[in-house]
Amino acid sequence: MKNVALEKLKNIDILVFGITLFLLIFSVFNIYSASYHEFSNLYIKQIVFVVFSFFVILTTTFLFDYRWLSSVSFYLYGLGIVLLILVKFIGSTVLGAKRWINLGFFQLQPSEVMKSIMIIFSANYISSSKLPISFKDFLKLMLFSVIPFTLIYTQPDLGSGIMLVLPVLVMVFLAGFKLRYIISFMLVFILLSPIVWNHLKDYQKNRILAILNPEADPKGTAYHIIQSKIAIGSGMLTGKGYLQGSQSKYYFLPEQHTDFIFATIGEEWGFVVSFLLLSLYLILSLRIFLIGKTLKDMFGKFICYGVASLIVFQSFVNIAMNLAIAPVVGVPLPFLSYGGTALIMFSFLIGLVLNISYINSKQSFQLYPENIGDY
Amino acid sequence: MKFSRFYFLITLLFLIYFILVGRLFYLQIVKGEYYSEISNRNYIKVFQSNPPRGKIYDRNGVLLAYDIPTFDLIAFPYIVRENYKIEELRLLLKNVFGVELDEKTQEIIRKNLLPKITVKKNLTQKDVENFYNYSYMLKGFYLEVVPKRVYTPEANYLPHIIGYVGYPTKEDVEKNPDITLNTLVGKSGIEKIYDNLLRGKAGQKAVLVDAFGRQKKILWEKDPEKGNDIYLSIDIRLQKIVYETFKSSGHKSGAVVIVDPDSYQILAALSYPTYDLQKFYEGLKQEEWQALTQDKYTPLIDKVFTGRYPPGSIYKPLVSIAALEEGVITPETRILSGSEFSIGKYRYRNWNKAGCGYINVAQALEMSCDTFYYQVGLKLGVDNIFKYTKLFGIGEKLNPDIEKKVAIVPNREWKRKVLKQPWFHGDTVNLSIGQGYLSITPFDATKIVVPIANGGKVLKPQILKGYYDNKRQMFVHIKPEVIRKIKIKIWNLEAVRYGMYLVVYGPQGTAKALKSVPVKNAGKTGTAQVYTYLTRQKKHGKWELRDHAWFISFAPYDNPKLAGVVFVEHGESGGGVAAPLMANILKRAYSEGVLSIK
Repeated sequence: MKNVALEKLKNIDILVFGITLFLLIFSVFNIYSASYHEFSNLYIKQIVFVVFSFFVILTTTFLFDYRWLSSVSFYLYGLGIVLLILVKFIGSTVLGAKRWINLGFFQLQPSEVMKSIMIIFSANYISSSKLPISFKDFLKLMLFSVIPFTLIYTQPDLGSGIMLVLPVLVMVFLAGFKLRYIISFMLVFILLSPIVWNHLKDYQKNRILAILNPEADPKGTAYHIIQSKIAIGSGMLTGKGYLQGSQSKYYFLPEQHTDFIFATIGEEWGFVVSFLLLSLYLILSLRIFLIGKTLKDMFGKFICYGVASLIVFQSFVNIAMNLAIAPVVGVPLPFLSYGGTALIMFSFLIGLVLNISYINSKQSFQLYPENIGDY
Repeated sequence: MKFSRFYFLITLLFLIYFILVGRLFYLQIVKGEYYSEISNRNYIKVFQSNPPRGKIYDRNGVLLAYDIPTFDLIAFPYIVRENYKIEELRLLLKNVFGVELDEKTQEIIRKNLLPKITVKKNLTQKDVENFYNYSYMLKGFYLEVVPKRVYTPEANYLPHIIGYVGYPTKEDVEKNPDITLNTLVGKSGIEKIYDNLLRGKAGQKAVLVDAFGRQKKILWEKDPEKGNDIYLSIDIRLQKIVYETFKSSGHKSGAVVIVDPDSYQILAALSYPTYDLQKFYEGLKQEEWQALTQDKYTPLIDKVFTGRYPPGSIYKPLVSIAALEEGVITPETRILSGSEFSIGKYRYRNWNKAGCGYINVAQALEMSCDTFYYQVGLKLGVDNIFKYTKLFGIGEKLNPDIEKKVAIVPNREWKRKVLKQPWFHGDTVNLSIGQGYLSITPFDATKIVVPIANGGKVLKPQILKGYYDNKRQMFVHIKPEVIRKIKIKIWNLEAVRYGMYLVVYGPQGTAKALKSVPVKNAGKTGTAQVYTYLTRQKKHGKWELRDHAWFISFAPYDNPKLAGVVFVEHGESGGGVAAPLMANILKRAYSEGVLSIK
């Protein structure tokens, strides 16, 4: 029995597992630093989530076969939609947004669950279609995406909505969707953008404008951006030291344990660690992309592509927002921002990737034809 | 190479990655110092605490100025606007402090135009209590201690000398790191001259604050250093007598200075009329301000140190000393002095048409004989008169701190430069009797009499008797400082002194009023022409055209303890106006024991 466990661990992808483990542990330290001065015990909750996430990774990796998901992906999709609709009715409202379902011991955030479901659903959809994906299949998939997007967008949570759709688009792109369609879609999007702009809420417009000229309204919308810039900039090369960040400790930096945790890290740890962290996200997603690339199983391959693009785009958008070069939209930093559902779902996705790589390394696939093209 | 979507995506990721790394590098390495400094300013706030300013006493410890703390209600707009809607704020301030929030303040708060604003000045006791009672709902407000200067009623006898305080300008603050915009600094008079002694040093408290302005931790604290108390050389009892005597004389404008000739400490200095110092400091109403500035008797001008007037005959003792020392005359030399003196076609009259006859220098002083001095002065020459004037310190700032303006002393060079004309004999004649281009301040007039009284010492004038040094915990006395000694032969000096004695006691003396003073004393009258004889005749009677009245004196005659100057602007007659005024001052001062008879 012992040997079997050891054997299993040997086959696990050490880069993905190692980086994830590091991020999970690092998150506890930083959430402690970002919240202890408010006499909050958020870091205790985070420890509980981290420990739980660790079990989620191990169980998903070893006691599970991802291929089973393929057969239930449609039901999962349905479950996700039901949860999102449920939020509308029984969701708890925080700061004017209805995003959570109170389960008593836990605040479930269905939009985070839906992100994972959407990756599995799309991977299944693409892998069971004829590749390269046809325009018709593409339209159907888009239709499936628009429904949860609309539900999340109206919570309101534009950031989660975008993060739901972005991996799907990457997957479609890699599934060989015709370039001329992509270009036409981009043209349509550019033509439609003034109409979209007019339908944005004022605060959303302000957030986008704030990026262009943050000093114009330093106490209003751009406050986050300026304070985040000051926090990160003042960290300089090696940072002010752990627990020594003045911007974050004295409330100058809002939402520092959630969306702006990177600013706290930048302030306390400086350029060296911030740069390393940024690189870790890139390496993690590259590794998952490459795992996907070597796979012959289309379902597993597209799950990897989805997971990799979700991690890399969500972390890059969050960091860009902290660095004041992207609008402030509510996008948490994967593994590091406080939040139970996101942490567990990301851990589940990592477990899934490890499971895919583990199962595929164990057996050589004869199930699929050799020549599958560049997908 | 075939276009690979996979590697296109990877390249895109690297591109974004490098943009982010570049931005990170820019913020933390390139602009790191800049943000670091902003970050420090963000959370460290330095509060200044103003120390009590030193008190001002007279030489005997009578309080003239001190300060009391008052409280201002201050708001930080950037915190207030986060916590209140303008309407809420308006109601809150109205209900708790009775303050109507004006449009301008509202705009400052709404737009966060200033780092802090004063909402209400000079809070009452009730307001302060309310502040503490309602502090839980006053977010972004705090009380600021603002020192306020109080001038005692005694200070109103010498407002020009005391001066007043106010807040510094931005330039002042930039120049002096010890002061802030909230520090009271001297604006004029003693308050300004001895500002460094009086001001003390502000305390500083550096506090960690959060984004709501709440104090988190005191980083370092420096206690304020209290200002030093200073003691003027002024005797406020004498000052009061001087003031009241001048006032009751009915004359409208003038100056009186009384000094101790051995130390040159100023015992009294009056510029008349005066004004209410406290009212002036706290701010006058428009009409009050206009009344003060448009008054033709110029109450706001310090006549003692800034008014320049022709001295007239009070200059004669100085010319006498010059003539005696330069050997033009001896004490015994008698000169025929008639009713007028001519050079070519110009005639110079004696003030008394009768003339003086054969007289020596002492008699010339007694009678204030102009024709005597015309002759002596001409022999002496302008250069010698100028030399002695300078030796006595007239036209020189013996104490630059207190002497703002000094005499204009003409000589050949001066006339060539200023009037672009050569010096004439007539100019020397005029100068010999203190007329012509010469104009001196009332304080300069004491410089004639002080060396005569103390035997030739030119001292540094002092207005400070001493101060209590808080640091060293001891009283520091200001010692007399001899600037130079004028070598005057004793018999020459005695001749002039005797002449001044005769001014009071001689049969033809011009200041007989001083006879009634209970100590033996001496002096010299002066009636200075303001306009030439002819214009004077035409317009006689109008105040602005009348002669100035002067009197200088020292007392007691044998051992002078005081030297004094009375100047009555357009008072018309030195003997008839200025001398009796001095007599009344001295009589009262001796009878009340303010000056000692011995």
